[in-house]
Amino acid sequence: MEPLRFKYYPSNHLHLPLRRDILHRAIVYEGDATRQGTASTKWRSEVHGSNRKIRPQKGTGHARLGDKKSPMLRGGGVAFGPKPRDFSTELPRKLYDLAWRTALSYRYRKGELIVVEDGVEIDYPKTRFVKDIFALNHWGNPNGRSLVITSSFRPNLFRALRHAGEDGRVLMEREVDVKDLLEMGRIIIEKGALDGILKDHQSDLVSKVKRTTLDV
Amino acid sequence: MPPQLPQLMRWSCSPNVPSIAPVTSFLLPFLQQRSVSILSSLSDNPSAYNKRIRRGRGPSSGKGKTSGRGHKGQKQHGKVPRGFQGGQTPVEVVKGERGFTNNFTPQMSVLNLDRLQSWIDQDRLDPSKPITLKELAESRCLHGIKDGVKLLGRGAEALRTPINVIVSRASASAIKAIEARGGSVTSRFYTRPSIRRILLSQTPAYAGQAPDPTSAEPFAFRLPDPTSRKDIEYYRDPAHCGYLSHLVPEGEGPSLFFKIPGKGKDGGRGKMVVAGGKAISKKRSENRIW
Repeated sequence: MEPLRFKYYPSNHLHLPLRRDILHRAIVYEGDATRQGTASTKWRSEVHGSNRKIRPQKGTGHARLGDKKSPMLRGGGVAFGPKPRDFSTELPRKLYDLAWRTALSYRYRKGELIVVEDGVEIDYPKTRFVKDIFALNHWGNPNGRSLVITSSFRPNLFRALRHAGEDGRVLMEREVDVKDLLEMGRIIIEKGALDGILKDHQSDLVSKVKRTTLDV
Repeated sequence: MPPQLPQLMRWSCSPNVPSIAPVTSFLLPFLQQRSVSILSSLSDNPSAYNKRIRRGRGPSSGKGKTSGRGHKGQKQHGKVPRGFQGGQTPVEVVKGERGFTNNFTPQMSVLNLDRLQSWIDQDRLDPSKPITLKELAESRCLHGIKDGVKLLGRGAEALRTPINVIVSRASASAIKAIEARGGSVTSRFYTRPSIRRILLSQTPAYAGQAPDPTSAEPFAFRLPDPTSRKDIEYYRDPAHCGYLSHLVPEGEGPSLFFKIPGKGKDGGRGKMVVAGGKAISKKRSENRIW
């Protein structure tokens, strides 16, 4: 591969120092937000059944028991079981944006950020075809897999890579998160997608204050 | 290191790249570059984690013998009821509850003149246009406006720009300071839903406001007017710069209850209702004192 041309990117976009703590916080934040939190059990009041006392309080020689739904009994409710809840945590927006650019900078510094022209697409929607492309470029499984990021849906590329998970993944720009950027051996990203990601994640660099003179 | 152009060019253009292949072919299984993900080595700073205090684990731990719970009694073994003082009477019975929370109080966002001037100085508010709740919220001068905005007079001496402000309420010192600089204050009645719609550009912030030129649609809602006597009287008062103060006739007060003597509907005279249901005003007798 030969470089087609050179582009300048500011050092606070693609040449940030590696901050493992910030990347860690961003990935934990994403993981928390991804949790479904739908686990649910029934407490004794929600279990279907009668409130009738199972056996007399005294005289049977057995333990004292109330109704059948006690968490101690088989078929009873669950004590302290899970209920649906939201696991998502918060992270300052500026910190999260810094994590995005730190992740891209880490890739760039290691030479694992391959920026390609916009409009990436292959000729046939064939997995075999895309596997050959990956093998030729040393992007495939023996070289640590690759993540392809496009700015929009590409039918042939997405269909072909759908069954080539051992060689890599393809995601649209809006589906990517920080963990995706760090998972595989390299990132192959369209220039438009890279610019879009950098533009969306620069809240710590750009002031949000609205000036009245700029509006006019 | 990012890929350098000369190295890349040499690598991709040199024809003798395969010439090293026979030498290294038997070494390939050993030379193969393993890509190790960084994910397994990520961690927050050590100081960001708190070490769990292990209670009751020996004297050297610092929380060993009594585990930080002191000596003997209910507090060591369990929970003590809230307000328990020993004996029978809890503290809320001895002391009693004082005061109450009025759920009907409008929660006015406070805006002071020094903050307003600071926003104008920073070019975040345009003093040439009317400053309403929408401008204040969009410039982040105020955040989370609930029932309205009250303008207060702190920093009145710092104010130097003539401004046109439309808010829910204004203090006398704020009105005095703004009018002394050649500006104007209008207090207008807002409700919580109407404030929400103003921020959504669904209703004007004051009557006669032109819709946003960027949005083609006209305003979908009108602004509400006050219905309770207290609100009507507040906005009829010229001292509050109320937007209804033009409705007050010359020489009358804003009150809807107290009339000026001699200016009532029946000329200050009492009414007499006869059996037929018709109200007949009594003729004022000549010798009437009141």
